[in-house]
Amino acid sequence: MRASTRNILMIGPAAVMVLALFLYPLGFSIVSAVTHDDYSLTLTHFIKVFELYSKDIQFTVLIVLSSVLILALLSIAISAMIVLSPFKRLVAILSMLYRLPLFIPFIVAAQMMRTFLAKNGLMNNTIVAAGLLTPMDTVSFLGWTGIIITFVWKQLAFTTLLISGAMAALDQSQIRAAQNLGASRLRILIQIMIPQVLPTIGVALVLSTVTIMSVLSVPLMIGTGSPTMITADMAFRVNSYGDYHVANALGMISYLICAALAWFYLRQTIKEKGAMS
Amino acid sequence: MAHLSIQQLQVSYGDKTVLHNIDLNIQQGEMVALLGPSGCGKTTLLNALCGFVPVGSGSIFMAGKDITNQPPEQRNITMVFQSYALWPHMTVAQNIAYGLKVRRVPKTEIAERIKEMLEIVKLSGLENEKVTQLSGGQRQRVALARALVVKPDILVLDEPLSNLDAKVRLSVRHEIKALQQRLGFTSVIVTHDQEEALVMADRVAVLNNGHIEQIGTPEEIYQSPKTPFVADFMGADNRFVYAPKITGKAFRLYLPKTSLELHHLIYFRSSAASICKDLDNRNLDGLTLTGTVEQSAFLGQNYRHNVRHGEQLIQADSPDCWPLDSEVSVHVPPHALYVYPHMARSA
Ligand SMILES: Nc1ncnc2c1ncn2[C@@H]1O[C@H](COP(=O)(O)OP(=O)(O)O)[C@@H](O)[C@H]1O
Ligand SMILES: [Mg+2]
Repeated sequence: MRASTRNILMIGPAAVMVLALFLYPLGFSIVSAVTHDDYSLTLTHFIKVFELYSKDIQFTVLIVLSSVLILALLSIAISAMIVLSPFKRLVAILSMLYRLPLFIPFIVAAQMMRTFLAKNGLMNNTIVAAGLLTPMDTVSFLGWTGIIITFVWKQLAFTTLLISGAMAALDQSQIRAAQNLGASRLRILIQIMIPQVLPTIGVALVLSTVTIMSVLSVPLMIGTGSPTMITADMAFRVNSYGDYHVANALGMISYLICAALAWFYLRQTIKEKGAMS
Repeated sequence: MAHLSIQQLQVSYGDKTVLHNIDLNIQQGEMVALLGPSGCGKTTLLNALCGFVPVGSGSIFMAGKDITNQPPEQRNITMVFQSYALWPHMTVAQNIAYGLKVRRVPKTEIAERIKEMLEIVKLSGLENEKVTQLSGGQRQRVALARALVVKPDILVLDEPLSNLDAKVRLSVRHEIKALQQRLGFTSVIVTHDQEEALVMADRVAVLNNGHIEQIGTPEEIYQSPKTPFVADFMGADNRFVYAPKITGKAFRLYLPKTSLELHHLIYFRSSAASICKDLDNRNLDGLTLTGTVEQSAFLGQNYRHNVRHGEQLIQADSPDCWPLDSEVSVHVPPHALYVYPHMARSA
């Protein structure tokens, strides 16, 4: 009895925090998404979402999937270079450089990318100055490519940090064992290292997905307006119409997308655990 | 010509030189043990052989070919790691097959060679086990099979028995030796256990602080250690300094081929000493001294006595247990005394 009282006292504050700061707002948005102002149940908000924004939902999913795919490829490649490269000096520089975006907020990154990727932005100016293109031929990268580039640039530091950490933690002699059996670095990466850091890659990508889904500044500043991402639509509903119902319905959709990915990831890891034991 | 020839090899980490001018020749089919205390550079020497650490100066030749600067994946040298370094996400068979797959050996041949290898290391029937579920001894055998299946020019083993418990260690020791004699592979085995080196190797190289102190057959190393370090490391743990003119009733040294006008450093094993009541009147060759029994311990086959002779405490074994405080004579025959010039005093 006393022990259980003490347990309740110990987890009590944390439980109250979770309830007040997370579960209550979540419950509130769910309710708001499926009711009218008088709390009568309805699906009209969702119907509106699909009529007005189904293009944007597809656009969001495509942006997220492409960003995450590119992130996976790049961060695995950089991590492998950091862990396997025999050129220690180069590795030291690389491992300092790749961390920089960690300390730059999304809104600043978005602003930088705007000036960098625009039709007469820094990148095109440089290309023109180098004589590779004429000003007429340059294209603006603002739009979906710009959004993907910004997300990848910003999240790459985070995913690489996690993945290279996991790779560096692998037993060095496992890599040497493969090496003196004749395996090339690429083969070691694919057959020895990646299979062992898959869970970490999964975590890094799921967390990045959630982050990307929740960023508002990037689609607003780099996107071309239509189609745009769900976050921009939510902001629009709230700011222009004070329409919290549809905004919350949109929120539910992005929550479901994240949940689906998380579920897929969890199922994979549980399957692997099952296979191992 | 030697199968493997290491010449004037020097290896450093930063500005700390770990191996100094190592010279070592290994014949085809030979098993050489690198013996030395922890931190003396044994693993570093194996890493240099495999190409895992860059060589400062000197060269390594394999069958006459200079491999000093070859990357590890091009040398045909495989290592059995101290921690086994098996890949936990693969089965026993997948671990063993890896080197063959890398070499693009046809599937049917891989299957055959795995089967054969599993029989050799007595793991038949475990091919589809996860390696994480094996015991230490079984993992060791998988590591051995994985390294041997590609028929390396040289197999190197880094303290392969140090993670096994005492009983398993003895059996694996014999298995590795038997395997080496049966398959005839050339190998270098690292150990800090002198008995292991003596039992397994054809020749032993004793390493100290990055230098080779002595290379020889196990008998040579055991019976005629060339330096004080080797004598001490091979279990001659009684050490004292002989000064001329200390010979008398209580202490007598007589060595047929050694001048006793100089200072000497003398080592001998406790097991080589014998204890008697009184040897005074017999003029025996070797070392004779008297002392008082301070302590005795039962070792199983005999008793080890601590005998005090002035400042010096000497350990001597005897089948009888001598009572404490009794006056005894200790005798060591000349062939069991390892005598070295004692530079500091005789100079
Ligand atoms: N990667 C390394 N960097 C710096 N010093 C090292 C490294 N590896 C080993 N050493 C040093 O080199 C010496 C020899 O080490 P090692 O070859 O592992 O000894 P052993 O295997 O005989 O115990 C030790 O003093 C150790 O501290
Ligand atoms: Mg070692």
